Amino acid sequence: MSLAIIGIAEVPTKRDPERTRWDMLTEVCIGAIRDAGVDKDEIEAVISVNPMAQPQMALDMALGRVPEVLGLKGCKDICVLNAGGTSTTNCLRLAKYFLENGQAKFVLIPHTTVQSDIPTQELINFFATAPLDMQWEYPYGVTFNGAMGLITNRYMHDTGATAEEIAAVTVSLRAWGALDPNSIFYGKPVTLEQVMESRMISTPLHAKECNLLADGAGAMVVTTHEIAQELGKSAAYELGHGVRFTGATPVLRKDPYFVEAYRESSQDALKQANLGINDMDLRQIYGAYPFTQCSALEGYGVCEPGEAAKIWAEGRCGPGGDLPCTTMGDATGRGHTGSGVSMAFYLETVRQLRGQAGERQVSDCNHALITTSGGSVMNTATTIFGSAPR
Amino acid sequence: MSDYKKPLPVVQPYSQAFWDGTKQNKLLIQTCGDCKATIFFPRQQCPDCWSTNLGWMEARGTGEIYAFSITYEGVEAAFVEDLPIVLAWVDLPEGIRMQSNIIECDPDSIEIGQQVEVVYKKINDDITLPYFRPIS
Repeated sequence: MSLAIIGIAEVPTKRDPERTRWDMLTEVCIGAIRDAGVDKDEIEAVISVNPMAQPQMALDMALGRVPEVLGLKGCKDICVLNAGGTSTTNCLRLAKYFLENGQAKFVLIPHTTVQSDIPTQELINFFATAPLDMQWEYPYGVTFNGAMGLITNRYMHDTGATAEEIAAVTVSLRAWGALDPNSIFYGKPVTLEQVMESRMISTPLHAKECNLLADGAGAMVVTTHEIAQELGKSAAYELGHGVRFTGATPVLRKDPYFVEAYRESSQDALKQANLGINDMDLRQIYGAYPFTQCSALEGYGVCEPGEAAKIWAEGRCGPGGDLPCTTMGDATGRGHTGSGVSMAFYLETVRQLRGQAGERQVSDCNHALITTSGGSVMNTATTIFGSAPR
Repeated sequence: MSDYKKPLPVVQPYSQAFWDGTKQNKLLIQTCGDCKATIFFPRQQCPDCWSTNLGWMEARGTGEIYAFSITYEGVEAAFVEDLPIVLAWVDLPEGIRMQSNIIECDPDSIEIGQQVEVVYKKINDDITLPYFRPIS
């Protein structure tokens, strides 16, 4: 386990079709390489996050345009990886292969997405059908919001969590987003009343509890622990990693709201890191829907089953709370940039560990746990990062 | 019903029997002749033991709502006329969980644990879709 993130860059999440995919991509790649303090020709591999619903950009990335446009003369190979929301995690895992076998000292991992130039109905169709079974789900008017609303209802039934407590998760996520210049909701917190009074989309989810599709881009430069230390850079050091597959089709899963997958992936990651859940100063949960912020805490063992929604409703996971979670705001508190949400999660985790998170900074943040998920949470990939190597 | 604009199930050779069944208002569940598993959705081999000795049994046609959500907006254009749509996971006594819609009732009256029965809607000569409605 030897990966360290030493350079990051991001553009603010917005809906602005004037910013092209390549404009943003170029800006974040140059920014991350400069932030890492390495020469562009020292980048020896480019592993890109697949841009969902953007076939031309996906082809450009898959067929090698990124290092060519940037003039990365030392690049030995490229790859695009697609696992929806865990694409960035997969990029980090492949980067480790290049780093550990000596093929690369520095790997660039970029992401770019523009959704604001795609017609709304086309986006609805894409996100309605992308994770769905064409035979057993699609004919029944299934949407992402509908399927996740259904799971939320079952979570509430089993745990006794109330609609107000679930809505309070969004209040805290938006409170983090309101403090984040990279959030589409920067300076725009919401109250519990505003969440509860927003339009009902798919019970129990109101409009403000669903995702706003947006544009964004981010990039990071990764290297080994040893090189990061030699460079003397402030970095995020990977200390442990674990993953669990839950299944492609929600209705067939034995673990409907992923508690076991959160539990097992976090236990594997913590064991590798030789740390416990109570050693974590920050928990970053990418689930895109508010109930995951609760079931993840229960799976991690932060609290007993059924307690997490109350903890969120008490404000303990938001700004100023004693259990800070998801300072990135998740997709509901920042804007959903397709497969880019997980990139933004890693970048925010690096900022926190470097002490560069501005008004969102968690005090003495030395260990952070981050879980990403792909598709409709087909998997949970949990990674422990520290501000120093073991 | 030739003006049906909503997506139709993409039928596979190994699921054809299921759709032949719904045409006759029968809900057929795939079964494994070796390990006796009940299988949903139908596959080419048993997901438990990989046997290809597969058959079909007729389900009772009743079930219990495991979870549901009422959708008011955000669906593809073809589904807008059906709003609100009640999406539900239904547990069948034969041991499988299906996804469908709950119809022919007031959506606000639906509860988790409610007993439902299958109801068939003929879409065209090839496809009849199974839905569920509360048992009154």
